Amino acid sequence: MLVQEAVQEHLATDAAEKFNAGKVIIEHVSNSGLDHPLLRLPHVLGIDFSVTKHVLMLWLVSIAVFVVVTWTVRRYLKQDRPLPTGFMNALEAVVEFVRDAIVQPNVGRKWVNTWTPLVLTLFVFILCANGIGLIPVFETLGLLDHWVLHTAEDSFVKHVMHGGTTATANFNVTAALATITFGAIIVAGSRAHGFIQHWKNLVPHGLAWALYIILIPIEVMGMFVRPFALTMRLAANMTGGHIAILAILSFVFLFTDIFGRAAAGIGVGVAVSVPLAVGISALEIIVVLVQAYVFALLSAVFIGMAIHAHH
Amino acid sequence: MPDNDPDFFLARSLKYLQENLRRSGPAAGASYSLIGAIVLLGGIGYALDSWWRTAPWGLLIGLLIGLIVGFYELAKTVWHR
Repeated sequence: MLVQEAVQEHLATDAAEKFNAGKVIIEHVSNSGLDHPLLRLPHVLGIDFSVTKHVLMLWLVSIAVFVVVTWTVRRYLKQDRPLPTGFMNALEAVVEFVRDAIVQPNVGRKWVNTWTPLVLTLFVFILCANGIGLIPVFETLGLLDHWVLHTAEDSFVKHVMHGGTTATANFNVTAALATITFGAIIVAGSRAHGFIQHWKNLVPHGLAWALYIILIPIEVMGMFVRPFALTMRLAANMTGGHIAILAILSFVFLFTDIFGRAAAGIGVGVAVSVPLAVGISALEIIVVLVQAYVFALLSAVFIGMAIHAHH
Repeated sequence: MPDNDPDFFLARSLKYLQENLRRSGPAAGASYSLIGAIVLLGGIGYALDSWWRTAPWGLLIGLLIGLIVGFYELAKTVWHR
């Protein structure tokens, strides 16, 4: 009986020690849980306002973008001769690209200066939030902590290890961004045609009344579908790439488990996992750019559709 | 030869890229709306199914409405031009 218990116990610990790829991957892409918040805040109306990893990332990205852009532009404006140099040059190219290639073709010459700031802000913010997810900042910090710092179990460094770094991989974040676009569409239509006319523009004019019974619900649903498509696309793309990289890298640990020796895992890592992960990471750089671009483009397209509502 | 000038080549490439992007914008919007409509309304149908225990009718009706809304958005873009 004792032997049996010992064997059971041994098997149980063995199973617990086995590498669980799914669990590890999900922990690395999802937000950190509320059980170890980075900053504990009180409940308001039953909602826990504690700061999690993705919220911290949002703050970091917004502060970084705000400080860098403001500092660069202010320094540029202080110059005697307004000649852009260095980073200002790159910034100007981005602003011009967003204005000339994304906003103007969609919203038209008349409204371009009204809507470029919003689309530009969305573009730069999403680009930076996507991009920071590719930089292993916290992983490096974790390595430092493991070998050098040796902080306590409930320290800030230990807490900040939980969860993924890409805030735009969180559906709540992208839903909030899409809500801004949703509001912008209504404001754009209202400013161009007047509030009442904007809602009238949703459906074509001069049809039989029976058609309106079908068309109005379809158009109202279409109104919500567009921001939803924005939400899902950005979050899914940002999560997908990270999951692919982590899945390929987890081969190392899976093969070590299967063959019971580290050499097998390291072999697979050197031959397959690391080269493939490097390739996908390179692809991710393109995805980061394209997703920020597509979000900005679609926002401009939808705003333009509300402005040029000719049925 | 202006064609061999790297600056000119880059500027021309950028111009064509810009032109293509401009034309692909509405198409991208319509295609994402098509998928978005099916996923969103199908999802709502599925959620209603699990609350009201009416499977599979909520999902089916949701997908059907999603298809209609999605294709309506697509048709609007196609006929707009």
